[in-house]
Amino acid sequence: MSRARIDRLVPAPGYPSREVAISMAQLEELHERIVLAAMPLSPGQLAWQPRPGASTPGMLLAHIAVAETHLTQVGLLGETSGHVQDVIGIREDDDGMPLDPDGLPPAILRDKDAAWFAGLLARSLANLRTAAAQLTDEDLDQDVVRPPRPDGTQRIFNKRWALWHIVEHTSGHLGQLLMLANLVRGQAG
Amino acid sequence: MPVRVDRNILRVPKRARNAEAASFLAQLDDLSRRMFDDLASIKAAELAWQPRRGANTIGMLLAHNAIVEVYWMLVATGDLKGERLEEVLGLSMDGDGIPMPESGEGPAHLRGRSLAWYRKLHDRARAFATPILMRMDAATLEKIVKRPRRDGSRHDSNVRWILYHVLEHQAGHYGQMLLLRHLYADRRKRS
Repeated sequence: MSRARIDRLVPAPGYPSREVAISMAQLEELHERIVLAAMPLSPGQLAWQPRPGASTPGMLLAHIAVAETHLTQVGLLGETSGHVQDVIGIREDDDGMPLDPDGLPPAILRDKDAAWFAGLLARSLANLRTAAAQLTDEDLDQDVVRPPRPDGTQRIFNKRWALWHIVEHTSGHLGQLLMLANLVRGQAG
Repeated sequence: MPVRVDRNILRVPKRARNAEAASFLAQLDDLSRRMFDDLASIKAAELAWQPRRGANTIGMLLAHNAIVEVYWMLVATGDLKGERLEEVLGLSMDGDGIPMPESGEGPAHLRGRSLAWYRKLHDRARAFATPILMRMDAATLEKIVKRPRRDGSRHDSNVRWILYHVLEHQAGHYGQMLLLRHLYADRRKRS
């Protein structure tokens, strides 16, 4: 008897915009895979650095939750500044990224297990679900004009791009997490 | 002094048959633009660098992304035959060297290749995918495609999942390329 795996992406229920519902289905799937990749890692493996200055698997997990929450607040909800700690319990720079060239992982992430990181991600995703449920198709075409940065530059994006950026940013770091998990297993073996 | 504005506006191509399929294309193009911007300064030696034996190089990942894009478009359109992929890309299904044996080195035919060479490969893949996505209709996105695998098992997916998979797969490997660039720069600094 042949085994069959079925992958069927359907719009997630509960969103007024079909386009948003499809992106949310993607993010639900990505979160599942991130947690699956993280759960087998011990606290020591989650804190493993290929070399000083490089990100650890734990830093990547924290960064995914931080960035997703920040982008939800300033990108999808159009808030002037992010307040990530109110949602996930750690601050914007607690992921330690970017590290100094010889930097070590932030102390706040030391000895944390995979369930702790999964909690960050779950809170971030719950917050994103609530924000996305408010978005209409028209909202996706709306431009968000960010306040000027200290270096004088300014950023403008539409909410469709912000939502897409959350998907591809999460996918990119999932790719890195898988690569680091592979390297850390090679290290141990 | 004029303010420099970074603008990221994702718009769905208007002439497409279906907005959802066209949105995937807009996302793929946005991803490629940023990926090649981030790789602009890369040289052949870095493209062929392995962090250790058995690990993928950035060049392999670029070739892999092009192969996978064409492969899944052929699956989505029910036109998958081994020779079709090679006709489109000039590279076989195994031309990326992935997966690599545990202590393997990058494939010889990718050694010394420049970013321009990989860009051409990418552009051929995208030129193949673009009209498929621009012409795709809503019913096709719901269609279930049954794909036998080499190990005897079967993979069933709807075409929407295929398009999403191509995107998240490319984004994942783009993230890995950025990580490899950091490791490469760090290695040079420390050697």
